[in-house]
Amino acid sequence: MEKLSYDAIVLGAGLSGLMAAHEIGKEGFKVAIISKVFPTRSHSSSAEGGIAAYIPENSDPNDNPDYMTYDTVKGGDYLVDQDAAELLSMKSGEIATVMERWGTLFNRQPDGRIAIRYFGGQTYPRTRFVGDKTGMALLHTIYERTSGLDVDFYSEWFALDLVRDQERVKGVVAMEMKSMMPVFFEARAVVMATGGMGMLYRHSTNSYINTGDGYAMALRAGVALKDPEFVQFHPTALYPSDILISEAARGEGAVLINNKGERFMKRYAPNKLDLAPRDIASRSILTEVKEGRGFPGGFVGLDLTHLGPDYIKERLALAYEAAKSFSGIDATVEPIPVRPAQHYYMGGIDVDITGTNHDLRGLFAAGEAACVSVHGANRLGSNSLLETLVFGRETGRTVADYLKSTDKPSSSVENAELEKMLDEAYLFVKSESGVHFGEVQNKLRDVMWEKVGVFREEKGMQEAVKEVKELRQQVTKMYVNDKSKVYNTEFFNALELRNMMDLAIVISSSALNRKESRGAHYRLDYTQRDDENWLKHTISYLRGNTVEIGYKPVKMTKWKPEPRVY
Amino acid sequence: MQMAEVKQIEGKNVEMNSQPKSSAIKNEEKEIVVKVKRFSPDKGEWWQEYKLKVDRFTQMTEVLRRIKTEQDPSLSYRAACHMAVCGSCGMKINGAPRLACKTLALELTKEYGSDEITLEPMDLYPRVKDLVVDLEDFYQRMYKVKPRLYPSEEVLEGKAEHRLVPEDQRELWKFAQCIWCGLCVSSCPSVRNDPEFLGPAAHAKGYRFLADPRDTITEERMNILVDSSWRCTYCYQCFNVCPRDIEPVTTIKKTRAWSGKMKDKTKVIETGEKHVNAIADTIRKSGKLLEAEVYLRTYGLAQAMSDMLFMLKSGRMKYALIKEVPVKGLNDIEKVMNGGEQ
Repeated sequence: MEKLSYDAIVLGAGLSGLMAAHEIGKEGFKVAIISKVFPTRSHSSSAEGGIAAYIPENSDPNDNPDYMTYDTVKGGDYLVDQDAAELLSMKSGEIATVMERWGTLFNRQPDGRIAIRYFGGQTYPRTRFVGDKTGMALLHTIYERTSGLDVDFYSEWFALDLVRDQERVKGVVAMEMKSMMPVFFEARAVVMATGGMGMLYRHSTNSYINTGDGYAMALRAGVALKDPEFVQFHPTALYPSDILISEAARGEGAVLINNKGERFMKRYAPNKLDLAPRDIASRSILTEVKEGRGFPGGFVGLDLTHLGPDYIKERLALAYEAAKSFSGIDATVEPIPVRPAQHYYMGGIDVDITGTNHDLRGLFAAGEAACVSVHGANRLGSNSLLETLVFGRETGRTVADYLKSTDKPSSSVENAELEKMLDEAYLFVKSESGVHFGEVQNKLRDVMWEKVGVFREEKGMQEAVKEVKELRQQVTKMYVNDKSKVYNTEFFNALELRNMMDLAIVISSSALNRKESRGAHYRLDYTQRDDENWLKHTISYLRGNTVEIGYKPVKMTKWKPEPRVY
Repeated sequence: MQMAEVKQIEGKNVEMNSQPKSSAIKNEEKEIVVKVKRFSPDKGEWWQEYKLKVDRFTQMTEVLRRIKTEQDPSLSYRAACHMAVCGSCGMKINGAPRLACKTLALELTKEYGSDEITLEPMDLYPRVKDLVVDLEDFYQRMYKVKPRLYPSEEVLEGKAEHRLVPEDQRELWKFAQCIWCGLCVSSCPSVRNDPEFLGPAAHAKGYRFLADPRDTITEERMNILVDSSWRCTYCYQCFNVCPRDIEPVTTIKKTRAWSGKMKDKTKVIETGEKHVNAIADTIRKSGKLLEAEVYLRTYGLAQAMSDMLFMLKSGRMKYALIKEVPVKGLNDIEKVMNGGEQ
């Protein structure tokens, strides 16, 4: 197998990966970014509303980083590592300023400084934004910046697996999608910036490419995931494309209605009504659908019509446009079809606040792929863009320091070992019969949605674990119909499904294990938060077919757990 | 990773108990035929048909995903965000360059009056497999315009701060929203005929930085962009196909306006400026576009004489000799031309 040598490899070219690579490259190290898509196609581009930042001299005069940390800690239902949240707040203003200097066209105040707006869960307004396409604007800025540095891009290269020895990471095996040529990328450090995993769920606001590849590669390399049971669901995703419809719509007076035209939130949240928190609204919608009061296809209506066309087009432009372009619905005359959908993954590769993983020397992670943990049991809006950049940079700097103090690995990698990885992947192409990825993938997405979704309970999750195990078994017998040796997406889809399976078994087992409700993890059989027994991180390893679960304490600095009431 | 949730919205308070007008969401279903132009280096090119049911919400990306997961896993295409921000799914749908995600199947069958939809790879770029094309040519065009801000050292070191008024932000952001999908370049006739033309997307990207008051390499950008801007024919194809409505042709027009600031003008710029000035002058003079005069002034007497021989041969000389009568109210035209009352 051909070999290319670098100091560091960054997997993933979204915001966190590019930021990490920027910091490593800046120090003169040889760094390559490997991504299965061209950088601007990364899922970071889909982020809409903004990036939270406390900028001294340009924030609410009453605000300070402590309020910001408190909001994040409470939003995360106290499963947040408070030192991580403090770092996030402290660095937020600096990172937004850096992005502005590099060219991001943030919306402005009349005096030319960066504008600000309120977001959910914030005591004071601190969200900075570029229209409703903040993620796209930031991603383009950082790609443009990084592409001007001496950094090698391997776009549309699919990473198969991490290469390691007993003690440390040795690199990555990846394949060029166009030529299907495998290459061993040898490196002293690998940064996992591979993003989320929405494709595990039947309904998700995520891109098609979010198949949890990084989590699975880490698991297969013997690395733990932290808090893998925490999956965020958003109540109002557009049917059927699951594009996010902002909570701003309900803030402006839009109401949720069932197939009888009833404003059903009256039953579930008599005071807050349609502005009830995300988890309650999601559960209410699904209850209506389950009890036969949804529309065919399984959605409810988000009705704006009583607001009048002018008001809708002026104040809810994005909701109006999205409904029109992607569902063919004119929101001024009929309700927008919505349903809950998976939105974000709080769990991830276990790293500390420097981005370092302690299971495998030389392995780092940042962004949605990582669990620092800054979001705890539930992420606050506009904190994910912030996390990608702040911890992308922290991680990049850590890697640069690591490279300065670490020699080249002494042992070399046996070619046989690399070929074995390749053979395992090729197994699917060589098979002449079996299931194809589409059948299994659709089943997996159904199981995860039905049994490890918005509502969870013992029996359902036991079934899920069993079913996922069976499906995971089937995947070993998967076959790829397409034998083509160029851009064989069926082959890569099969490898993605293998990744999805390794992650699904860990999520479902860890969810079954946590016997309480906290943040996004809501159990019908344990509806209360249980700080006495469960104020701790889950640490899950995948050992063959077994998920090995341990725990880590939550880092507390100054905020004691209190009831999460808004 | 999307985010949303504006918590506090100032302004109008909406009566929370007002009743929604409509209570049902209508849907319809139809079976369609999707004909895909397929390709692989070993099998060559062929058309393949798929039948499936779609409803009024079905995006073409979902059509493709369902074909791939339920009928034919070997079909290759690109798709990611399915919300028109990542620019992955550019292709020709019923012959027109579009994003698959921004195209609804049922709407398309109504628009074209046919239940058959054709999918082909984008034009211009070399095919890799099925609907996947090699976009390297497109990317190289983008890199040529140095697509990044070069801020001052003072700002980078934190000794100075950028300010940008909201009006400038709005203007620049309109042109900065290119999602690198490649549709405009694939459908641009000038790109095919003139190797020196950068293409619409690169011009939009280039102008977005040329006009950014925070940038410091203005002269270098002018040298990259201005000559190329005169190589566009204003056919407006990029304006039509851009899924983000960034109007690349508008940035090309705006870039031409920088010609006056160029120190060393290329032949193309000079010819272009002569052409524009001649058009303006003949309109001032007569209220009409005097083609023959514009031609003479743009290309000079020698070139015009040699072209005249061609026109004589093709029998079109008479058009060059038409004597135009000035329109009435030239004063008003003068005012409009000077940007006064309209």
